[in-house]
Amino acid sequence: MEKELDKVIEEIMSTPNINGCLVADHQGLCLASKGSAHVDSAGIIVAISEQACKLQPNLKPPTVCLETEKKKCLIQRHGTITGAIFKQISNI
Amino acid sequence: MDKIPDQIGYLVLTEDGAVLESGGELENDERVATIITDLIALSNKVDPLAFGPNEQFKKISITYDDHWFAICLSNKKIYVVKRNIQQTGSESNAIIV
Repeated sequence: MEKELDKVIEEIMSTPNINGCLVADHQGLCLASKGSAHVDSAGIIVAISEQACKLQPNLKPPTVCLETEKKKCLIQRHGTITGAIFKQISNI
Repeated sequence: MDKIPDQIGYLVLTEDGAVLESGGELENDERVATIITDLIALSNKVDPLAFGPNEQFKKISITYDDHWFAICLSNKKIYVVKRNIQQTGSESNAIIV
């Protein structure tokens, strides 16, 4: 059953500048994680996406991007599933 | 803040979420102010492994289809700007064609 999800994760991880990725359900339980994304952060990531959805609840869930000097964390919700991608910012 | 291109609303908040300045669509929007301060509190706890303890977030953006919110912290104040997303020329042409 997880094969499809693993395939998507592999695909994301093979993209340049990606450090890690994580998929969690609406309860904040981790479904899959790879690379620098830690299983324990699933709860926080879902909480952030839920908080962002409260801004405009009538619109479809937004993409949240958290940026540091060198890294980015992109969080997107789709139905009950929340995905997060940890990226290295390229200097190009 | 009024000079920011494509700006449709802005908020300047204290660290605890009190509104100092506001304008446009976000004028006196206490609801958005509370949601954003809670969001910042949450983002402080994100993955200590992926982001080291010295790596503080410098910017948060929340993107919808046609507008986005940019959130930055500076001088112990939280700056929030709601901005329109301009459709690119090629896309709008495609719709017309």
